[in-house]
Amino acid sequence: MVNPVSNRAWWLLTPALGLMGFVAVIPLLAVFNYSFHDIFTVNEAYWIGPEWYAEITRNPTFWASLGRSALFSAIALGIQVPLGIWLALLLLKMQRFAVPVLMLVAMPLVVPWNMIAGMWIQLVHPENGIAGQVMTALGIAFDYKFTALHTWVLIVLADTWHWIGLVVILAYAGLSAIPHAYHQAAAIDGASRMAVFRYIELPRITGALSIVLLLRFIDSFMIYTEAFSINAGGPNNATTFLSLELAADIGSYTYGRAAARAMLDVLIVLTVAWAFVRIRSSEARR
Amino acid sequence: MTMRGIILRLAVFGLLAVFILLPFAQTVALSFTLTLPREGHEVGAFTWLNYAEVFKRPELRAAVVNSLTYVTLNVALCLIAGLPAAYAFARYRFVGDRHVLFALLAFRLTPPVVLSLPIFFLFAQVGLVNSPVGIALVHCAFNLPIAIWILESFISAVPREYDETCFIDGHSLPDFFFRRLIPAIAPGIGVTVFFCFIFSWVEVVLARILTVTAGKPITMAINALYGFRTDIGLVMALTVVSLIPGVAMIWFVRNYIARGFVIRT
Repeated sequence: MVNPVSNRAWWLLTPALGLMGFVAVIPLLAVFNYSFHDIFTVNEAYWIGPEWYAEITRNPTFWASLGRSALFSAIALGIQVPLGIWLALLLLKMQRFAVPVLMLVAMPLVVPWNMIAGMWIQLVHPENGIAGQVMTALGIAFDYKFTALHTWVLIVLADTWHWIGLVVILAYAGLSAIPHAYHQAAAIDGASRMAVFRYIELPRITGALSIVLLLRFIDSFMIYTEAFSINAGGPNNATTFLSLELAADIGSYTYGRAAARAMLDVLIVLTVAWAFVRIRSSEARR
Repeated sequence: MTMRGIILRLAVFGLLAVFILLPFAQTVALSFTLTLPREGHEVGAFTWLNYAEVFKRPELRAAVVNSLTYVTLNVALCLIAGLPAAYAFARYRFVGDRHVLFALLAFRLTPPVVLSLPIFFLFAQVGLVNSPVGIALVHCAFNLPIAIWILESFISAVPREYDETCFIDGHSLPDFFFRRLIPAIAPGIGVTVFFCFIFSWVEVVLARILTVTAGKPITMAINALYGFRTDIGLVMALTVVSLIPGVAMIWFVRNYIARGFVIRT
C-alpha cells in the first residue's frame, strides 16, 4: 500500500531538522568557510581563496596518507564483511542459541574507543600480556612499536575485534527476515548451499549489507582513536592515516589548513557513499 | 542440523568466544592486580584497591556521573526528535523526502573529527563547553540519523490501519503517540536506545574537544590517568566500570538486537 502524500508531514521533521541544523549543518558550513581563510585567531582571519587546497594536494604526504587509509579500509572490509556474513549464516539455524552469540559479539561495541588500544596493548605485552607471553614462549618477537607490519596487524586485529559484531548483527537481521518458504522451495529444487546463498540470501540482505558497508567504510577510512593510541602514526608514518594528519593540523592551530583537509576528507567519503548508493539503486531498478 | 554442522559451529563459535573474550579477560585480570608499588602490598598481587580507588577519587566518580548524564540526555533527545521524524517517513510521502533521507545519511557519514573545530567555537559562544549537555547535543549529529532509521523500520512494520483505527476511536495525535504507537513499537525503542547508547558512550573525539576543564566523561578520565607512571591496574578497573552500563544494555535488548534492521532501503 502506497503512503498518502502530505506536505504537512514536514512539521513532524522540524525537531530533527532543527537539531541537525545546529550540530551538523552549521558546523559543516563553518568548516567550508574556514577552509578559504588563513586563521590566526577567531577574529583575525584572512581570505586566501583555495590556497590551502592547492598546498595540500601538491604535498605527496597527503596522497600517501590517502593511500594508507584506502588500504586499511580495503583490508578491514575484506576481512570483516565476509567473516561477519559467514558467522551470521552459521548462526541462522541455531534459533535461541543465536542470542548468546549475538550478545558475545556485541560486547566489544560498548568499549570506549580510546580503551580498545589500551586493552590490546596490554594483551600483547611480552611480559604481562596473555597473548604476549604465548608469543614470547613461541619465540615470536612481536614489536608493534618499531615494526610497521606488526603495527598494522595490531590495528587490523583490534579493529576487527571491535566491529565484527556490527557486521554479524546486521547480516543476521537481514538473513533471519527471509521467509522460511524460500529455503523450502530451494530445498525442493535441490539447490546447492552456494546457490541458496547467491540467489536467495545475498539478494535479500543487500539492504542490511549496504548499511554495514557504508558504516564500516567510513569508520575504517577515517580511523583515528585506535590508530593514534596504538602507535601515533608510527613507525616512520607507516600508520599515518588521513584522520591523524587532520588531527595534527588541528593540534598545531593551523585551522585554515585543517578545515581544507577536513573538507577534502568529507568530499572523498561522500563521493564514495554517493557512488555506492547510485550503484545500489540502479541495481535495484533492474 | 547434522552432527557435522553442530561440531563445525561449536568449533567456530568457540574460537570466536576466545578471540572476543581474551582482551576482556586481560583487562579484568589487570584490574585486580596491583601494578604500582604501595605500602604494605606487593606489586603483582591480587587486590581490590584499584576499584576502591575508582570510588574514592572524586574526579573519577564525577566522570562516571558525567558520562551517564550526557548519554541519557543524548538518547532522550534522539527519541524526542527522532520519533516524529520517523513517523513522517514511515507514513507519508512529501516533497523532498528522499533528499532529506540522503542528507541524514550524509551527515551520519561525516567523520566527527571534521566537525570538531567549528563545534568548539560555536558551543563556546553559547556556553555549552565543559558541560554534559554540549556532548549530548553534538552526539545527535551521528545518532539522530541512526535513531530515525531504526524507528522508521519498526513503525513501517505496524500496519497503517492501526493508526486509522486509533484516530477513529478519538485519539489525538500526541495521545496516539504516547498511548498507542510507543507501546506498539517498544522493542524498536529498545533497539534505538541501544544503538544510540553504544555510539555515544564510546565516542572520544568530540567529547574531548568539548571538555577542556570540566564535565569530563569516563573516557577522558581514563586518558588523564596515563602519565609518567601510569597505574595500569587503576586504568583497567575504570575501564571495567565503564563497561558495566553497556553490558547491561546488551542484556536488556538481547532478544531484539538483530531486529532493528529488518530493512527497507
